[in-house]
Formats: sequence, structure tokens, C-alpha cells
Amino acid sequence: MNLPERFTLIHRGLAVLGRFTRAQPRFFLLMVGGGWGVFCEAVRPSSWRRTVRIEFWRSLRQLIGGGFVSTVVVAFITGLGLVSQAVYWLGFAGLAQKTGGILSSVLLREIAPVLVGVILLGRSGMLMLADMGNLTTQGRLNTLNGMGIDPFLVFVVPRSIAMTLSAFTLGILFSVIALTMGYVACWVEGIVTVSVWSFIFEVINSMQPGDYIGIPLKFFMSGFAVGLCCCLSGLDVTAEDNLTTMLPRGFSRGMMSILAINVLVDIILGSV
Amino acid sequence: MSQGVSQPDYTPVLELREAVPIFDEEGLSPLKYTLAVEPGDCVFIESRDDLQTAQFTNLCAGILPIGSGKVRCMGLEWQALDERRAHALRGRIGRISEDSGWIDLYGMHLNILWPRLHHSRSSYAKLVEEAVALALRFGLPGLPTQLPERLSALDRKRAEYVRAFMGRPSLLLLENPLSLAAPKELYNAFLSELTAARERGCAVVWIGAERSAWSGYAQPNMQKFRLGDNGLIEVRGV
Repeated sequence: MNLPERFTLIHRGLAVLGRFTRAQPRFFLLMVGGGWGVFCEAVRPSSWRRTVRIEFWRSLRQLIGGGFVSTVVVAFITGLGLVSQAVYWLGFAGLAQKTGGILSSVLLREIAPVLVGVILLGRSGMLMLADMGNLTTQGRLNTLNGMGIDPFLVFVVPRSIAMTLSAFTLGILFSVIALTMGYVACWVEGIVTVSVWSFIFEVINSMQPGDYIGIPLKFFMSGFAVGLCCCLSGLDVTAEDNLTTMLPRGFSRGMMSILAINVLVDIILGSV
Repeated sequence: MSQGVSQPDYTPVLELREAVPIFDEEGLSPLKYTLAVEPGDCVFIESRDDLQTAQFTNLCAGILPIGSGKVRCMGLEWQALDERRAHALRGRIGRISEDSGWIDLYGMHLNILWPRLHHSRSSYAKLVEEAVALALRFGLPGLPTQLPERLSALDRKRAEYVRAFMGRPSLLLLENPLSLAAPKELYNAFLSELTAARERGCAVVWIGAERSAWSGYAQPNMQKFRLGDNGLIEVRGV
């Protein structure tokens, strides 16, 4: 192999490496830029035009109404399984006084944001992704753009904000139902003898000051990340994409976002 | 004596001055495009290529980027406008396109009202009233509330006319607005609404594949062009 051929080979190798390196953080950078864009638009009163408000209320209804039953069922099962088991085994091990602390740190801080995020991602996020993907591939967003309607403003902003609020709402609902069901299961079995208020008080009392910021922050940020991720994944499709390629990619991105947000908030608030 | 008497505005509503679109492998040729449409004017452009037609209307609406030259709409240069102002200016344009852009998530009534709801502060009731009046003129029984996919192709066309003429646009960009197979009543309703819009000062760019679609409406003094690989070429006569 002569010298020019070697240079060509090295050049091609570097090009492949560069393409790979640039492709990896591409969607992450898209999320950062999109997130900042949503924030800037959301705080500007003139952005909340009637079309944006219509889409916001429609999305909020769909998200909370659609995710309500799933959240209640999952919270019910989690309460019966996880909370009652935790209470039972902690009592068995003579650590009954730690029950509140463990439930607040495990259930409220770690499990609830992830489960609610997954419910929202699966129940509504995928639908959002399919909607946006179809609108993009069919060229409908270009037509809207031609009429002076910014698709980012009328779809991404209201959907991301609606997802943020619904994650918080469903997250609080999930936490309350899971704890209540756990208490009921233990009370029926005779494992706990205190009243439900004392049980809830014990859980709340064992929360750290940072949890009062961290838990809502996780709900808000998980919802925001899922909403933004699904909308941007839908906008980011190409003509070759279809549902079989769009949905798995969006789902894995959404899962990554939920887990990354949880770890990030834990690290920032020093919970790990 | 002449003080206080308003002079008619002859500033072109749409002006392309040697605008060269950035060529993207296919579509509009990277040539100089020159066109001026004054208020009330109607310009006919014959184009047999759908992609070129769509890209030309996008060029007029400031969506297609240009390498050199100028594209002005209502005296404002698209390239000098920031995104928000450009979107607001596009709100003054009524469009009929090959892909009507119906959003299947909403009923047809919202699809029709969507641009006006976004760009204007007129009350919802007033917008509905205007839309119903236009819908009746185009042969719909009222403002349709079904999903767009549930309506017939003809009713979707009627709805598209309603959307394009809503809010008294200053410029109409019409891509193949009429099919010769359309009912005569719809054809007449469209042309009478177009004439009324022009009398209000609306400029019209009518791009179509078939010259015969406008032959009944075109006048000898109206500008006529042909759009193709050689750019925009003026055609004399009907």
C-alpha cells in the first residue's frame, strides 16, 4: 500500500469515527436546545395563543384522563406488594421504626417517579410520538409553517408542559394510593396497629428537607423529559422511518431520559 | 387641495427581485426569479411540476431560503424578519396547497379556524360566523365538525377554500386551486370570492398545471408566466 492510499484509509477511518462521535450526543443536544426553547416560549405570555391553549388542554385531558386508571392500578399493586412487604419484613427484623424512612426513600423518591414516567411514556408518550411522526412524514407540519404557525410552538410547547403537570399530578396520586393500600394490606393482616394518619405522618416525618424539593422535581422533570423526548423524536423522523422504527427508538430514548433525570436529581440533591 | 386625500398604495404585495433559491438537488432551478404582484392583481403561473410549484409558493412565502436577490411581502423583506415576525406576516397569506395540511387530531371546524385562532384576536364566535358564511357560499351546509378524513374530497376542497379566504388575506397563494372536474357552482363560487378578495386589494398568485382552469377568468392585461427548469418565463396572450 503506497502513501496516498494509506492517507485515504486514515481519512475514511477518521470520518467514520467523527460521524459516530457526532451522532451520539446529537439527540441529547437536541433535547437541551428543545428544553431551553420550551422554557423560553412558555414564560412568554404572547406564546399562549388560543391554538396553543387548545392543544395544551387537549393534551392535559388526554394525559391525566388516559393515565389515571393505569396509575391507580399500578399504585394499588405497588401498595399491596411493595409497601406491605416492606412493613412486614422491617417489623420482622425489628426495624419497624425505620419503616417511614425506607418507604419515603424507596417508594416516594425512587420508585414513584420512575413508574409514573414509564406509565406516561407507554400510555401517552408513544401516542404523542406517533402523532408527531405522522404529521412530520406527511408534510403537515410544513403546511402549518406555510400558514405562519410554528409547529414547535403549537405542539411541542403545550405537550411538554402538559406532560410535566400530569407527571406531577399522577405522581402524587400514585404515592398517596400506594401508601394507603400498603397500610390497608398491613392493617388487614394485623401487621400495623397505628391509625392511617400516624402511618402517613411517620412516612412524612422521615422525609429529609431535600425530599420536599427532590420528589416534586423528579416528577416534574421526568414528565418534561418524556414529553419533550417524544415530541422531538417525532419531529426528528426521516422519510424512511415508520412506526416500527419510530416507536422503539422513542421508547428507549424516553426510558433513558427518565432514568437519567432520576440519577441527576439524586446526585444534585445529594441523595445518593 | 390634495392634502388629506389618501393616495392608493401601489407597493407590490409580493415582489421577487432576482431572487435565486438555494438549489437542493431537485425542485426549483437556481435561476433569478423576478415577479411583482400589486394589490388586486392576479398572476397566473403555469407549472407542471408539483415540487417546483410547492417550492415556488414557499419561495413567495419566505420559507425557501435564497442565495441572492430579494423577496418582499407587503414591503417587508423575508430575510430581514426574525422568525416571529415572519410567522406573523405569513398569517396574512391565504394558501391553498397540494397537501392541504389537515391535522387529523382536530375536527374540520378547528382545522379551518386554526390559522385565524393563532394569528388574530377576533372572538371565537365572530370567527365561526365568518367561517359559516364562507362555508355556505362554497356549498357546505355549515361549518363541518367531523374529522377531515371523514369528509369527502370535494368537501375537503370546499373547506380549504373557506380556510384560505378567512380573515381577508392580503395575498393568496393558490396551488392548483381548481379542478375542471369540480361542480360548476363551486367553480363560480370560488371565482366570485376571488374577485371580491381582489376588489378588497388582495393580490393573487394562481399556480396551476392546466391553463384551461383559469382561461375563463383570465383577462388579457393580467400577467401570465410559465414555471419550469428555465425559471419563470413571462407568456404573452392567454
